[in-house]
Amino acid sequence: MSDAGRIEVRGLTRRFGDKVALHPLELSVGPGGITGLLGPNGSGKSTFLRMLLGLVRPNAGTASVDGVALSGDGTAIRRRVSYMPGEIAVYGEMSGREHLAWLLRGREPSASDRALEIAGELGLPLHKRVRAYSQGMKRQLFFAAALGPDVPVRLLDEPTDGLDPSVRRCVLEILERDAANGATVLLSSHHLGEVERSCTRFLFLHQGELLADESASGLIERYSRVIHLGFRKGEPVPGEQVFLAAGAETVRIDGVDVTAYLGACSPLEYLAQLDRGDCPVPSGVEYGRFKMEELYRDLYGVGGV
Amino acid sequence: MKRVLRHDIGRALAYLFVLELGLVPAILFWPSFRDNLGALKAMAPLPMLKDMVDKLGDGGAASYVLGQHFFKGCNTLGTAAAVLFAVGAVAGQVHRGTLEIWLARPVSRSRLLFERYLSGALGTIVPVFLATATIPYLLTHVDEQMDPGGLLAAATHQSLFLLAFFSVSFFLSTVGSNPMRIAFGLLIFSTLEFSLYLVKQATHYSIFRLVDLQAFIRVYNSEKIQIPYLVGCLAVIAGSWIASTIAFARRVP
Repeated sequence: MSDAGRIEVRGLTRRFGDKVALHPLELSVGPGGITGLLGPNGSGKSTFLRMLLGLVRPNAGTASVDGVALSGDGTAIRRRVSYMPGEIAVYGEMSGREHLAWLLRGREPSASDRALEIAGELGLPLHKRVRAYSQGMKRQLFFAAALGPDVPVRLLDEPTDGLDPSVRRCVLEILERDAANGATVLLSSHHLGEVERSCTRFLFLHQGELLADESASGLIERYSRVIHLGFRKGEPVPGEQVFLAAGAETVRIDGVDVTAYLGACSPLEYLAQLDRGDCPVPSGVEYGRFKMEELYRDLYGVGGV
Repeated sequence: MKRVLRHDIGRALAYLFVLELGLVPAILFWPSFRDNLGALKAMAPLPMLKDMVDKLGDGGAASYVLGQHFFKGCNTLGTAAAVLFAVGAVAGQVHRGTLEIWLARPVSRSRLLFERYLSGALGTIVPVFLATATIPYLLTHVDEQMDPGGLLAAATHQSLFLLAFFSVSFFLSTVGSNPMRIAFGLLIFSTLEFSLYLVKQATHYSIFRLVDLQAFIRVYNSEKIQIPYLVGCLAVIAGSWIASTIAFARRVP
């Protein structure tokens, strides 16, 4: 199997003092496609991306990107990878155009043209000093710089964080185009809803550990079996047996909120079964939409995210 | 690199301008100083300063210029410039949050560090040589002259000291995160060292003893850098550079 455009990680570990930022990680990503690296703040996403670039040295383990092993200060890998940091800090005195050129130092000359094209597509005022940019515009500038170089792998740390929906859509479309051209994109986010439509695979990190590795279709399939029911405060909530009898495999009741994990039946069949039973009409039914913390709790049994 | 160079060239030109701003009136004031030496000596508040005025007067225009330009001008402005050029190199990036984007480009850390070091080192010492080069011309206005070979040796002597000071400051920048704190610490250190220099019984323990008027007169007259001084400065420079590269390689954004 060719290593081109592939990210291979074997036992990569990082500690900061007593705290383990990344437990031994085994992973293979690409070639091609958009993989979402998801997890709450402090889960180790940024540390992992920085380690792949050689910015943070691993305490143990190996990594290779596009067939090049991570060694020394990682310059060889950084030539094959473009990166967008999660924490955006700029040289405010530079214009947008100057800053792009600065970010693209060491890249091929055509990288600048592509970055300028993307910046144009995003509508960035490149003649203005970067200090006048909003936080979202600064993020877009870094996005354009990360998409400029002709490299097989792109590592993007929170590329959509803080962007308004229309710009986020535009950014994801550009990324999808790039992935369709063969690039391997690994992007991090702490908000699944922001990136779910573009990713073909999801890696879930929690406290430095890889909690789950799911394909997009697998995740949707799994989550389509979870249904949330809400009842009015003060009204009695039926017992667990009612929900199990209607077809749920397991049930979790938390006050007036009920989460049912369905077996073979569809959510609609399940609701119909509930209606036929002794269950009062719930005040709210939620299905198919989920937040990160719900996902962690419902699918992986991790609380306190 | 262009951005760093542009900044450092601007700073170096400002530093050169201030050096000249001190040098020109000092040289033009020489005849008046020579004529009023006795009164100036009487006004000096400390024994060390009385000795200095003595040495300035005894050695004629050469001693006076060495004292004004090197001991007074380059030591004060030069150490300040060395600190200014050095502290922002890495700690400045950390402080403004740009360390990550600086390191994330496909350029090796050793190259990034060397560019910063070279740019700051040249910014610290080139103005010393340039300002020194104007001395023979300025002296023609007061009918005096100095030996260019001796001046070159004195400028080299001064530059070695400043380069050592710059290198130590540069190392502190690679391990620190707040350039203002580092600069403040170095300022306190320099002030204490200079205070020590002014105390006759303790003057030998001050680093400024290496670059005082007596040292410059000796170097100017012999046109040679003393080997122990040269070796000492080079050891500090090399040691600081090695320590900086090690610290910078371990630096995590």
